[in-house]
Amino acid sequence: MIKRYFSTIALALGLLAGASAAMADEGPELPSAATNIRDTASLRRGAHLFFNYCVGCHSLKYMRYERIADDLGLTQDEVMNNLNFTGAKFGDPVISHMPADDAQKFFGKAPPDLSLEVSAKGADWVFAYLNGFYLDPKSPIGWNNTLLPNAAMPFPLWELQGEQTAVLKPGSSADDPQIEKLILTHPGRLTPEQYQQATRDLTNFLQYVSEPAALQRRHYGIWVVLFLLAFTFLAYLLKKEYWKDVH
Amino acid sequence: MANEVVDQGRRRFLTTTTAVVGGVGVVAAAVPFIKSWEPSARAKAAGAPVTQSLKKIEPGQQLIVAWRSLPVFIVNRTPSQLAALPKQDPRLVDPSSTGTSADQQPKYAQNGTRSIKPEWLVMVGICTHLGCVPNYVGDMKPEPFDPNWQGGYYCPCHHSRYDMAGRVYQGVPAPKNMVIPPYHYLDDMTVQIGVDPQGAA
Amino acid sequence: MANVLSNIGDWVTERAPGLMPVYRKHMTEYYAPKNFNLWYYFGSLALLVLVNQIVTGIFLTMNYDPSAAGAFDSVQYIMRDVEWGWLIRYMHTTGASLFFVVIYLHMFRGILYGSYKKPRELVWLLGMLIFLVLMAEAFMGYVLPWGNMSFWGAKVIVSLFGTIPVIGKDLVQWIMGDFLPADATLNRFFALHVIALPLVLLLLVVLHLAALHEVGSNNPDGVDIKHGPKGNRWDPTKPADGIPFHPYYTVKDLVGVGLFLAIAAFIIFFQPTFGGWFLEHDNSIAANNLVTPAQIKPVWYFTAFYAIVRMIPSAMGTAVWGVLGMFGSIALLFALPWIDVGKVKSVRYRGTGYKVALTLFVLAFFGLMLIGTDYTDEIFPKLFGADIDITAWDNAFGRVMTLIYFGFFVFLWLYTHLGWEKTKPVPERVTMHD
Repeated sequence: MIKRYFSTIALALGLLAGASAAMADEGPELPSAATNIRDTASLRRGAHLFFNYCVGCHSLKYMRYERIADDLGLTQDEVMNNLNFTGAKFGDPVISHMPADDAQKFFGKAPPDLSLEVSAKGADWVFAYLNGFYLDPKSPIGWNNTLLPNAAMPFPLWELQGEQTAVLKPGSSADDPQIEKLILTHPGRLTPEQYQQATRDLTNFLQYVSEPAALQRRHYGIWVVLFLLAFTFLAYLLKKEYWKDVH
Repeated sequence: MANEVVDQGRRRFLTTTTAVVGGVGVVAAAVPFIKSWEPSARAKAAGAPVTQSLKKIEPGQQLIVAWRSLPVFIVNRTPSQLAALPKQDPRLVDPSSTGTSADQQPKYAQNGTRSIKPEWLVMVGICTHLGCVPNYVGDMKPEPFDPNWQGGYYCPCHHSRYDMAGRVYQGVPAPKNMVIPPYHYLDDMTVQIGVDPQGAA
Repeated sequence: MANVLSNIGDWVTERAPGLMPVYRKHMTEYYAPKNFNLWYYFGSLALLVLVNQIVTGIFLTMNYDPSAAGAFDSVQYIMRDVEWGWLIRYMHTTGASLFFVVIYLHMFRGILYGSYKKPRELVWLLGMLIFLVLMAEAFMGYVLPWGNMSFWGAKVIVSLFGTIPVIGKDLVQWIMGDFLPADATLNRFFALHVIALPLVLLLLVVLHLAALHEVGSNNPDGVDIKHGPKGNRWDPTKPADGIPFHPYYTVKDLVGVGLFLAIAAFIIFFQPTFGGWFLEHDNSIAANNLVTPAQIKPVWYFTAFYAIVRMIPSAMGTAVWGVLGMFGSIALLFALPWIDVGKVKSVRYRGTGYKVALTLFVLAFFGLMLIGTDYTDEIFPKLFGADIDITAWDNAFGRVMTLIYFGFFVFLWLYTHLGWEKTKPVPERVTMHD
């Protein structure tokens, strides 16, 4: 009996380690983006924001307009009139019209494609990034970001959020500024709560773009897992029946 | 547990039930793999409808447009080409396109000119014999293959002949009239190939 | 219907008389010990996962583009544009990680019950070869998506071979076919991963099973049922404690298959990246030879061995010792049948010293995995204070784990060669824990 417990415990340990490691995934101390890709209204708002403020520089080269329409429950007309400003066809992927060379010249770096940004960095990071812009007179573009210091990206959402300024920690030097927090020194069109929601929607949309299949896989998964558990039970009954003759 | 009598009936029942349920599972698992062979979103996008302006096509001129990797002939038929069409009927295999060529065109193109508007021919330029692309021979003058040529198409591969509505002549290898694709007019001078007109058959 | 089948059966038997006897020899007349437990599910599960990898792999190959320019895009194409492509891809990536879970548990069973001992040394050696080929197969498979971790992982692992004195540098260039992992590397890894190694794997699996069937299966008591009394319910000449593999173990393995598939399905449909352990975040970025990921580490299943490389320091101007250590850690597993010459097979009847040593070995393996995955970098500061010297702590912990790992084999050699082991009496017949 003891040997059985020994081996079962070893097995359970392994599984537990795996499972807990799996859950301990997100980076430290980032505010939770609390995204929910099943909130279609949020995805639509996020899409609207993306196509109005981001697609000027950033492509979603693995995402087709038609797919966005299907997944977000929008008609072809709604997508082509309200989201498509690049003149692409309905089945085409979302490509920004900013030529890479110009971007290189203006910003020193081509704006990256954002199709997999949430996969790569995590939703919390993207959310914090969108909330982390502040005015920085020392920066060539006038903006800086707490998540990505000296990023080459200007802040496209300043009309909505307003302008934030960095409050430095006491004892920070000019050469090594330590930011304690950001405060809103100039309000925008949205209240801070509304802006949080807007960036949440935008992050949500980008999370959906990172993996559109996530909308369907959970739905199928329930049926598959239930079926397999039922099958296992049936197989177990069969096994028990046959093993009646083994003693 | 003492030696029990083996209940063969219960064994058979359980084995069969498990096998059937397992079989259902295997078939269900096969579905995604089989469906993965369907045209992908990329293929469907590439096969998307094609829009073409008719403005620059002169009377008697043909433009070839690619749709789903097929050549589509767009011809601005002249009045004399159109007038010659009914006269070809006795020489054709299926002049009304209601016989052996009944499935070669949408209902709205099942007429004497095989088109929506009489002067504009929109047709998939693939010979119904073995798939070559026929040549457009629009001039109505005697040809080596037909001393009484009234304009149409001549296929270089095996010499099939069609008239200016793509209808196949008798006595040639090709069996059917050339295919008319789904298409409709976005406006007077613009066609979109690949989509039927709204509310049409 | 049964009549038709039996007629076809007769037709085939008349023309290939050896077929039915082979089926009987390996299924209905292969007498396996009746006391198989939980640990005996993993062989058949490994076969199941192998079939999954092959089938999903074939379908992935239908849409994957093996060029450096197109590979990453083609994976996204599969995930988004190909109908059900996302499912096929997740089945393949989950299968790859679960393959190693199953194989490690399968190997552990061999260690627990002494299944590598005479007369099964050949079964063990073939199994270890399968393990080696599987590691190569998994490594190359991971490079194929050509993400940033694919690229840098390839660079680091291939450069391990560069530590070999004299030939190292040329060897690395020969493996890559270029000065860094590039199109040439990707193309050849594709060929090896898709056809060459799978064929080798299939051959080795056939040999592994054939070798096993030649000598018969071991069991949790380590008692040889062929030396015991003869005569069971099905055949008077066969071991009393044996039962036909089919239908008893086919039906039992079916339960294992069902439960395993349910767990796999949960992962595939609800947590396909498994928190970044099965599909790493850095691989969502396309390969970039100018930007290194923050932490280059191999996929979880290699991390224990990778930790050994990191823990053994460079000396005499070369880093080859770490690489030798890693190869050694696997070579020692090959040599187990000759290191452990104890007569008693199963841990149930072995000396306490062995049980302690084995427990430490398992803990060391997990400890090495913690090092290899950089997990210690996260938990040590939480446990011991934020201002500790992480490198020093990692090295101390990792080196102790490495010593324990190697120490297990040293101990086992001494323990069994010098007669230190005091075993318990082994029963004559297998014991059943109903």
